[in-house]
Formats: sequence, C-alpha cells, structure tokens
Amino acid sequence: MKKFLKPVEPILDKGLDTVESFIHTHPKVNFLFGSLFGAFDGLLRSSKETTHTQPFIRNNYDVKRFMGAVLVALVVGWVLPAIYFYGWQGVVSKLLVSFVIGIFVVDVIWAIIARENHISEGGFVSCLFIPAILPPQAPLWLVGLGAALAIIFRNILGGVGNNLVNPALFSRLFLTICFPALLVTGYQTPFVGMPDPHTFRYGLDAITHATPLTAFKANGEIASYLSLLLGTASGSLGETCRLALIASGLWLIKMRVANWRIPVSYLGSVLVFSVFFSLIFGKTVAPPLFQLLSGGLIMGAFFMATDPITATYNQTAKWIFGAGCGFITVLIRDFTTLPEGVMYAILLMNLLAIPIQSLMVKIRYRVQE
Amino acid sequence: MLMGKKAGGFKGGFNLLDAYPLKFCNIVEDISSDGTPETFHFPVPTQKVEHVIVNLCPTEPWALPNWVILRHKTTAFLSVLKEIKNSHFSSARFYIAINEKEDRTVADAKNFACNEDWMSVFPLYAKYPQDDPVILTKVILGMDVHFGQDTESLGVLILDAQTVSSIYESCILRKNVNSRFIVLSGTGLKENEILNVQLGTSIGKILKNKSKEVGRYRVFINGPLRGQEITDLSQKTDWSINHIVVLEEKDRKVILPMIKPDELVLTTNVLGELRRCVSCNFCDDICPVDLEPALYYHSYTRGEKHKARLYNLGKCIECGLCSFICPSKLELLEIIKECKALDKQK
Ligand code: SF4
Ligand code: SF4
Repeated sequence: MKKFLKPVEPILDKGLDTVESFIHTHPKVNFLFGSLFGAFDGLLRSSKETTHTQPFIRNNYDVKRFMGAVLVALVVGWVLPAIYFYGWQGVVSKLLVSFVIGIFVVDVIWAIIARENHISEGGFVSCLFIPAILPPQAPLWLVGLGAALAIIFRNILGGVGNNLVNPALFSRLFLTICFPALLVTGYQTPFVGMPDPHTFRYGLDAITHATPLTAFKANGEIASYLSLLLGTASGSLGETCRLALIASGLWLIKMRVANWRIPVSYLGSVLVFSVFFSLIFGKTVAPPLFQLLSGGLIMGAFFMATDPITATYNQTAKWIFGAGCGFITVLIRDFTTLPEGVMYAILLMNLLAIPIQSLMVKIRYRVQE
Repeated sequence: MLMGKKAGGFKGGFNLLDAYPLKFCNIVEDISSDGTPETFHFPVPTQKVEHVIVNLCPTEPWALPNWVILRHKTTAFLSVLKEIKNSHFSSARFYIAINEKEDRTVADAKNFACNEDWMSVFPLYAKYPQDDPVILTKVILGMDVHFGQDTESLGVLILDAQTVSSIYESCILRKNVNSRFIVLSGTGLKENEILNVQLGTSIGKILKNKSKEVGRYRVFINGPLRGQEITDLSQKTDWSINHIVVLEEKDRKVILPMIKPDELVLTTNVLGELRRCVSCNFCDDICPVDLEPALYYHSYTRGEKHKARLYNLGKCIECGLCSFICPSKLELLEIIKECKALDKQK
C-alpha cells in the first residue's frame, strides 16, 4: 500500500497546493467551494498549524480520528450485518442517498450560507445513523429526508460541539410524527442461510409488520433470544445484529471514544428496572432479558447515548444520565402504548443532561453563586 | 496501556517515556565556555529541613537519565548522600524516589537502606508528571503543596541526582564546580546527546553543527511540555537549564498522514485541526490532580473567565497534559493561565 502510494504522493500534494492557492486567490470561488475543498483537503493532508503556547508538542489524536473510529465501528456494527441480512442493494443505495443528500447537498449549502469555514466530519456519523434507525424497506426519499433533517437540525442547534440533542434521533422523531404509517411497516424478514446472488442483492421478499417488541405488545409473544442476538429477528435496518453491535461497541470503549459508564449504566438500569417491574406486574410487562436484547437498545446504549457532545461532561453525571435513559426506556416500553422507547429516552435525557451537568458541578465544587 | 488510572499514586498522567522513546549515545561530550565559567553555589536552606526527597525518577524522555550520574553504582551514590546528610541535614529524613523499571537501582538502593534508618526507598511508576514537586510531596509525604509554593518553607527539600553530586563536590570535596550535564535531544538534531557543559556557554555554541541541515527547527529549554521556547541563541547556559530539546517545525501540510504516523511525531505541528470542545473527557482523565479542564474552556468561551476560579483552578499544576491530549487542539493551558492571572490582578 505504502509503496503503491509513494509515486502518487508528490503529484497529489502539488495538485492540492495548486487548487488551494487558486481558491485563495479567487474570493468568489473561495466563497462557494472553500469549505468543501477544506474538508476534502483535511481528509488527505495534515494541518499546517504549529504550536505557539505551552505545551509545544501535542498528541497525535484529533477529532478526525475520533469520528473515524465511530465510522469504523458503525460499519462493522451494522452495515456489514445488514448487507448480509437484507441484501446489499438496499443498504448501499440508502447509504449513498443519505450521504449525498446529508453531506454533499445540505451541509455544503449550509456551509456556504452560514459562512462556515469547514465541513464537520460529525455529519458522516449522523448520516450513517439515519438508514440504520429506519425500517429496512423504508423508501429512499424517506432516508434522504431524514439525512437532510438531521444535518439541518444539527446546524441550527449550533453545529458540532454545541448540539443539544442527537441529530439523527431528532430527525427520526420528526419522521415518526410526520409519516407514522411508513415507520411501522416495511420490516423485511431477515435472510438466513447461504446467500445466492439474488438474496445477496435483495434479501428476502417477505415483509413482516411486526418487530419483536410490537409482537409482544400485541399478543405477548417473545422472540427467541438467540435470534435477537444474531439478528435474525426483524427490526430496523441497523439494530438487529446485536452481537456485532456489542462487539464494535466494546471496541469503541477500548479506543476510549465511547465512555464505558454510559452503556454500563444504561443497560444496567434497564436490567434493574425491568426486573423490578416484572416482579411487581408479572407477565404483563416484558421480561428483563428480552428487554435488553430487543429494539434499538443495544445500538442506543453503545452508539447514541454515548455521543459525547449530547451527554454530560462530568463523569459522575454520566451515571445519572445512563440510568435515566434506562428508566425512561423501561417506563415507555412497559406502561405506554408505544412499543419502543429508546429514541424518546435518549432525546429526553439529552435535554436533561444540561441541568444534570450543572447540578453535579455545583455539588462537586460547592459553587455558591 | 498509556494511561494507567491509579498507577503511581495518582489518577491520570501520561507515560511519556513509552510514547517518545529517545536513544542517547553513551559518550558524554565536554564543551568548554568562551569566558570564565560560573561556579556552582549550593544555597543552604535557612529553614530547618525535615524531609529531603531525592528524585531519581525522571519522567520525561528528554531529561537526564539516571545512569549518567549514578554510573550504575547506586551504592556509591547513596554513600555520598549519607555524607551530605551528616554534614548538612543531620536531622532530616531522606526519601529516594526511583523509577520502578530500573530494577538494579531499586534493588541496590533497597539493600543499602536495610542498614540505614534515615532513608526510605520509593519505587515509582515513571509517568509524567510523577516528578513534579506537588505530586512528589503528595505521593511520598502525603502533604498538600500548592502549585508554585516554595516547599522549603514547609521543611521539604527536593533534589535531583545532578544537584546531589554537585553539592557533594562543592560543599564536601570543596572542588570548584563549574560544569553541568545538559541533555540535547529532539527531532531537529542529527542525534541525541548528553553534554558536559561549562556554564556560561551560549546555547548557539552548544547547538553548532548538531542540528539537521534541512528544515526549520525550534529550541526549547527544559522540555517542550513545561519549558520555554528560546529564539535568542546567544543566551548563556546557567544552573536552571537541565535539557535542551530541538524540534522540527513542520509548518507545512503532510500528505496522507495516516499511513506515516512517525512523520509528525515530536514536532511542533499541532497534529490536527482546531475544533470546538467535543466533551470527550480526555482532559479530565489525564489530569494528574483530578480537575476538569473543559469547564475552564466553557467558562472562557462564554466570557465568564472569573467563574473558572470556582472549579478548583488553583490546584492546577500547569503540567500541560490537558492541552497535549485534547483532540480538538484547544489551548487549555493558555486559558488556565489567563484565568489564573485574572485572579492575581484582584
Ligand atoms: S480534551 Fe478537549 S475536546 Fe475533550 S473534553 Fe477536554 S477540552 Fe473538550
Ligand atoms: S495543566 Fe492543570 S488542568 Fe491541565 S492537566 Fe495539568 S494540572 Fe490538570
């Protein structure tokens, strides 16, 4: 790989330099394409800034790597399994639509209008989430709309570093309100077995209308735990193969991108509260293990709740944040007509993160104002 | 793992020795001064000294390695220490902090300490900033010292190996000590060296013919983390200079940095783009005194510099690790210093 790239490097470097100086000497071009070029250049080349204050050396770890790790984990955690279970055509086309609309259209236009000087890599993560949290048979326009909304919400709410709530979940909430019918149908049956060219491309043609959680709400039926773990039970495109999600989530924790406190407290509190409620209400509420393995919980706990910007900064407050998510999830699943509560739980706790954070800081430093 | 949580008696910290392994050649070169060299005088503390901490646990790779002074003869060094104790600090207790990875030194020191009740040996995990005065007194004596506070007023004296040997030569052997070991290292040099420099030599003279010909370089005295940058190379060396680090400037874009991770390491490149804080918790995980530097950044960007003081700002030992680790490349230490300065003005 290195040897292969060696001869291309100087040419590429020269080319980028030429484009850069061209852009910088033409204000109009810079106005339109400066940020797009900046993002592209940033992927290929390092920054040229040097340190001017102590400390004069810096660690070789930047936000790009941080986001890169999330992208890798998501590809392993849901894209690859989804390709196997639902066929590559649907998955790839959805990803393409999501990226093109989310980043190359909406984010670039936003960068031009709002005079941002760079396009943030956080958009890739949001756009990679969008297809994962929609049903496998969701129409492409819905994916595109979701991606567009996610990026718009993120930018309106202050851009990366300031967003209040998880943009992908917020956009999904919006879609749930606007197109309720589309989000309860289209749960394709996952394919199991040795794929032939047809199934590898399209997956199975069968559609179920029930996810394990809705089936439980309707008639108390409990899917097998093994099928939930391996991903052979139906569900949103990216949330079914829990095994891969757990593995890549653990890798993210090891890379210190995801903070271990949140998945532990989230899953832990789901377990505790569901045991508690099953002891009181018996068979009318879902059993604990089923709750842990169904719906978007694993994906939510490892990938969405851990989004550092929308969680609290204080580490003790992270425990409260995770426990709150778990509590609300169980409440919604057990006592409302909604089958799934992960999305609402995380969004609500995202909002509550701010008061929790300031409360913890006040307790820790005994700040009197 | 680079960041052991509690290893070494405090949370956080960073193992610089593993992250930046530096190789030195074993020959010590002598450099003599042009003018009359300065002589070393040990300022004998006026207060009564109760505790003496001897720091044989350098945590920065560019610091003077123990073997230069000890010459692998730990027992001889400790006998010297005993003489110093008897003549100057007869009532003090000595604490020898040694890098636990140097098994031989630790074993020799422990053997020696068996028969001596005035000293104790502390093998320490050498992660930065374990040898900071605040951390060292906390870990060894359990005493709380503020950053910048003079430990001598509390009866604590902290010496490094080089100072011990200079005290011995000047106060006991009555020799004229006018030279000092200075460590020269960094990516801007042809090779890393240890020099025995007569004081008063200009830094320019020391660096002559030693830096790489290509590219610009920058010179830092006493390390790139806590030291100062110097631009005036005619500055003379004195007793405060322990090491000189010369780093490549690398103020240009490097193509495909991910496939050549070594290209930019230990240069002054910031290794990333400036972003807003992403609340990643790297800074508070690494902080050796358990602060939350991002809180200062948030107060600062909100224009509430005065609020930073509320979050234990005074405890910060200005080790610079938070700025070092921050993936958003925020100048946290600079913000901390600015907020501290505001406090002093009042
Ligand atoms: S290391 Fe930097 S980006 Fe991360 S929380 Fe601290 S200040 Fe924010
Ligand atoms: S500079 Fe201060 S706040 Fe930052 S890591 Fe060091 S002690 Fe902590």
